[in-house]
Amino acid sequence: MPQLNTTPWLMILIFTWFVFLIFILPKVMTYIFPNEPTLKNKKTFMPWTWNWPWY
Amino acid sequence: MMLNYFDQFASPIFLGVPLIALALTLPWLLFPTPSTRWLSNRLTSTQGMFISTFTQQLLLPVNKGGHKWALILISLMIFLVSLNMLGLMPYTFTPTTQLSMNLGLATPLWLATVIMGLHNQPTHALSHLLPEGTPTFLIPILIIIETISLIIRPLALGVRLTANLTAGHLLIQLIATAALVLLPLMPTVAFFTMILLFFLTLLEIAVAMIQAYVFVLLLSLYLQENI
Repeated sequence: MPQLNTTPWLMILIFTWFVFLIFILPKVMTYIFPNEPTLKNKKTFMPWTWNWPWY
Repeated sequence: MMLNYFDQFASPIFLGVPLIALALTLPWLLFPTPSTRWLSNRLTSTQGMFISTFTQQLLLPVNKGGHKWALILISLMIFLVSLNMLGLMPYTFTPTTQLSMNLGLATPLWLATVIMGLHNQPTHALSHLLPEGTPTFLIPILIIIETISLIIRPLALGVRLTANLTAGHLLIQLIATAALVLLPLMPTVAFFTMILLFFLTLLEIAVAMIQAYVFVLLLSLYLQENI
């Protein structure tokens, strides 16, 4: 099975994580989910939106 | 050197460029980065809906400390689903058939959950090694078995994805070859083989999505245990 040939394994590992961290993570992070705008006469405070919490 | 059916999984190099590099970098053109506009186009809205629904579903059983893993788990899901699905098209290369890539994704993430669990709440993390209600005389052997099952998790994660996709691609190729060869000899049998190939392709589309989901779901499960 050619997948078991360990020669390209390090490059594939490094390249996969590189693409994953550099291209995809920022793309997903820019997705924001804003709330529907609330009316002025409503007394409720603004609820919290999902902002990809980091801590 | 005769070409065998496994050679489709050897990463081809064309004009000095390994095609796995193209297969890994180009799919993200299908995912436009959303702008800060409130109303975006249909593709961005659809992807945003998928991401928000999936995040909610995945993080439902995870407590608040695990929510910081949302970004990496969702990105991983999008990564794996798009690579798997695009690999089903003819003449494409599926990077997720490479054991190196799947092990490379599974091992660091699993190890991160284990290290976090052992560092923050070591007693709670170690308590998973002994299921509740075991008879006393079975305790030593069960701890050994549970430790082995813990160590084998990243291997299982990686090999599960690799094997499912590799087997699927191989089956498609075998049955397609059979249909092609049978066409001049026994057209009726070739016709039924084509129907089988059609259903197999539908199954492979489902498998592509399910295997990516299972990978991410299991990682979230390991996270639940340790966070």
